[in-house]
Amino acid sequence: MIDESVLRDVLAAALATGGEFAEIYAETRTSISVRLEDRKVEEVTTGRDRGAGVRVVRGASTAYAYTNRLDRDALRDAAGVAAAALNEEPRAEVRDLTRAPERVLNPVRLYPEDVETVSKVDAVRAMDEAAREVSGDIRQVIASYAEGSQDILIANSDGLLASDRRVRTRLACTVVAQRDGNVQTGSWNPGASAGFELLDTHPPDATGRKAAQQAVVMLDAVGAPAGEMPVVLAPGGGGVLFHEASGHGLEADLIHKEASVYRDRTGEKIGSELLSAVDDGSVPGLWGSFAFDDEGTPSQRTLLFDKGVLTGAMTDMLRSRIMGLPATGNGRRQSYAHLPIPRMTNSNILPGTDDAEEIVRSVKNGLYAKSFAGGQVNTATGDFVFGLAEAYLIENGELTRPVRGANLIGNGPEIIARIDAVGSDFEVWWGVCGKDGQGVPVTCGMPTLRISRITVGGTG
Amino acid sequence: MSDDLLELARRAVEAARSGEAIEAFASWGRETEVKVYQGEVESLVSAESRGIGVRAIVDGKLGYAYAADPDPDEIADVVEQARTNAALAARDDGNVLPAPQPIEPLAGILLPELLEATAEQKVALAMAIERACREADARVKGVESAQYGEGLGRVAVASTTGVEATSERGDCWAAAVALSSDGDGETQTGFGLQIARRPSDLAVEAAGREAAERAVRLLGARKPPSGRMPVMLDPFAAASFLGVVTSGLSAESVLKGRSLFAGRVGERVASERFELIDDGRELAGPGAEPFDGEGVPTRRTPLIAGGVLQGFLHNTYTAARMGGSSTGNASRAGFKSTPGVSTTNLILAPGDATPSALAASAGRTLLVQDLIGVHSGANPISGDFSVGVDGVILEDGHPAEGVREATIASTVLDILRNVVATANDLRFLPFGGSIGTPSILVGEMTVAGL
Repeated sequence: MIDESVLRDVLAAALATGGEFAEIYAETRTSISVRLEDRKVEEVTTGRDRGAGVRVVRGASTAYAYTNRLDRDALRDAAGVAAAALNEEPRAEVRDLTRAPERVLNPVRLYPEDVETVSKVDAVRAMDEAAREVSGDIRQVIASYAEGSQDILIANSDGLLASDRRVRTRLACTVVAQRDGNVQTGSWNPGASAGFELLDTHPPDATGRKAAQQAVVMLDAVGAPAGEMPVVLAPGGGGVLFHEASGHGLEADLIHKEASVYRDRTGEKIGSELLSAVDDGSVPGLWGSFAFDDEGTPSQRTLLFDKGVLTGAMTDMLRSRIMGLPATGNGRRQSYAHLPIPRMTNSNILPGTDDAEEIVRSVKNGLYAKSFAGGQVNTATGDFVFGLAEAYLIENGELTRPVRGANLIGNGPEIIARIDAVGSDFEVWWGVCGKDGQGVPVTCGMPTLRISRITVGGTG
Repeated sequence: MSDDLLELARRAVEAARSGEAIEAFASWGRETEVKVYQGEVESLVSAESRGIGVRAIVDGKLGYAYAADPDPDEIADVVEQARTNAALAARDDGNVLPAPQPIEPLAGILLPELLEATAEQKVALAMAIERACREADARVKGVESAQYGEGLGRVAVASTTGVEATSERGDCWAAAVALSSDGDGETQTGFGLQIARRPSDLAVEAAGREAAERAVRLLGARKPPSGRMPVMLDPFAAASFLGVVTSGLSAESVLKGRSLFAGRVGERVASERFELIDDGRELAGPGAEPFDGEGVPTRRTPLIAGGVLQGFLHNTYTAARMGGSSTGNASRAGFKSTPGVSTTNLILAPGDATPSALAASAGRTLLVQDLIGVHSGANPISGDFSVGVDGVILEDGHPAEGVREATIASTVLDILRNVVATANDLRFLPFGGSIGTPSILVGEMTVAGL
């Protein structure tokens, strides 16, 4: 993508004013998306994006300049702009660049560019048709296919030179069902760090049916109960709760800024004995996986909770250095237009030993939270609110009526202490996590799990 | 530079074949953002990017392609990709390009002084935000973020129907997140924000003080007992609520069966005190632009008047489908996407009373400063509205006790019909575009807590 001699020059220019560390991050990205709505393929879009950012770090201060040109002059200009934030004698030198060994974490079987666009159009049609066959109450289907192929190159003044090709593919289907004026939606959006072979594990018709079934089930929903009650979280989708209520607070930038309720609590038993959780960007093929993070650090498995004891935090290079924490390969950015910050990859609660069905049977009156609609957390306090897209009443140990309009309200550390059963099953859920205006692909994984009591904000 | 963008866009139009409609949207942007933390520069980001997006309409079928920083020689290839993509899409007679219309320039959306601040001055502004936040109250224990930002953008649109338009705009902002603590381990956060067209008009200290005030106000907040009481949404909370309302006021939502307002034009959908407009020419709002994402002039469009629904916001596509004309609300999320429909400056008319006088008139009132979980708890299609809230209970207009971990559950239409009055504190917030709103007093609602 860029000559090594250019990389060395640009890094040297970036360090000319007293920076301690300089880095170039460059990428090219091609993408195709196909979108269907109202039974029509509305739009097929192809795109090409490229750009590079130059970062200069001194102490805890960072200057960053980016451009979408990759030639020597543009990169030198960007280095000059970033370096202009400092005005001192040079103090660091660029070490010889050593290419990091290639690491193929996510082997791709069917590169998207080798597949005709018409097959991608067929995939969205198949989602639409399968969804509409589920019920006469289906009013609308929005189906899309998206692929992205990203080549990245990272070089820094410590001598790191890493490159990687990341291919991601995703299907998304949202279905609107309506009966007697009652409107409900359902969605299913599987993705992977893989090529077109995603469709073998997540066939478009099954994807459309899943979204439709959720919407149709919710047509029969009654108003959610309100008050404190036991809640069983379904495998996969329930992982959003852990991602939001605990994961974000374990991102080192928030800890550093005293904006995390988990600050200074490493080694403390905060969660239930049954809670062990990891962030693992090195699971081959998962949507949130990569060989190297966006600073060139290899992805890894980081233990966050071990039998309830807080054991780790997720770092990028900057936070690892200024906080004296291990580098965990969580420095991620949405694109060249963003600074890397600590982000989750695949955040998973590890399976336990309880039987998933038995967990539901153990609850006399409570709620079964199957799919989250998203949520919000205040990492400083740990307070959170999550909407439930699909939830059921548990009555005498059985799932009975679906409920709508339910929210889970609580506090992260309090809730993880109340986990009192963990299933032996495990599923993942795919999302795009937003933080500081940057969206990155993540998965949340977890087994069936019971929380002894949590506040449900409902309508009745 | 705008000329340069227009040149790129024209080149795409020149690559059109007979019978094709081609439109090119080219944009350039430059942004600077300075964040400070504990008196030091945490980050300084300077960015420049440009690109072009091409819509090709062939036999009523739409294809799109884009490229970042294209060479003039590559433009024909981008057009060819858009053309190829069009062949795979479904025919839709709504796919038409607008005819050219005279565009009145909007002086004032770019002030020359915006371009004059040096890096040192920008750093000093960010430092002033942080300092004002920290010094505002002894209970502010930290400032999670304090930032100054400015953005400058230029766009050019050209098409085979003869549209040729260029404009440039710029603004700047100051934002802070304060962390407060009263010593017993409890921490609360508060957000403050100011926007302006040039640094000298930017109330940087007010942004810091606002963050502090909002964080301190929540100290000692508790989950309240469940009950019914009047609720006042402050401008931040009101803007989040209006964000949900407006998604239903887009003709795109109506066409796609996603609007709770569909088929209700001429009906009472809100309290008669509720006056809502969209105005792309209101200079006080950050959404002001002379023309929209297709080169159609912006204008003032009444949406709800005296509580009665007046109509919807359109781009050229939705107008063609529903029989009408574009209201100048075609929106582009940069050069990478086709035009959608969105508000320019959405404005809710203010009333005469101050927020505290209004709250005092209602008795014991919950003042909501944050709606939490709106993107999950508010369903813009069904209108179900169930969100977390925090804020303070006002007795006779004065803060009595803090509230957190409470929820309100209602529907969008019930809340709109239950609006008692709006206060006189209208302000523009850049949430989901640009929303200008005062505090809104809503009659009794169920607030769920303990």
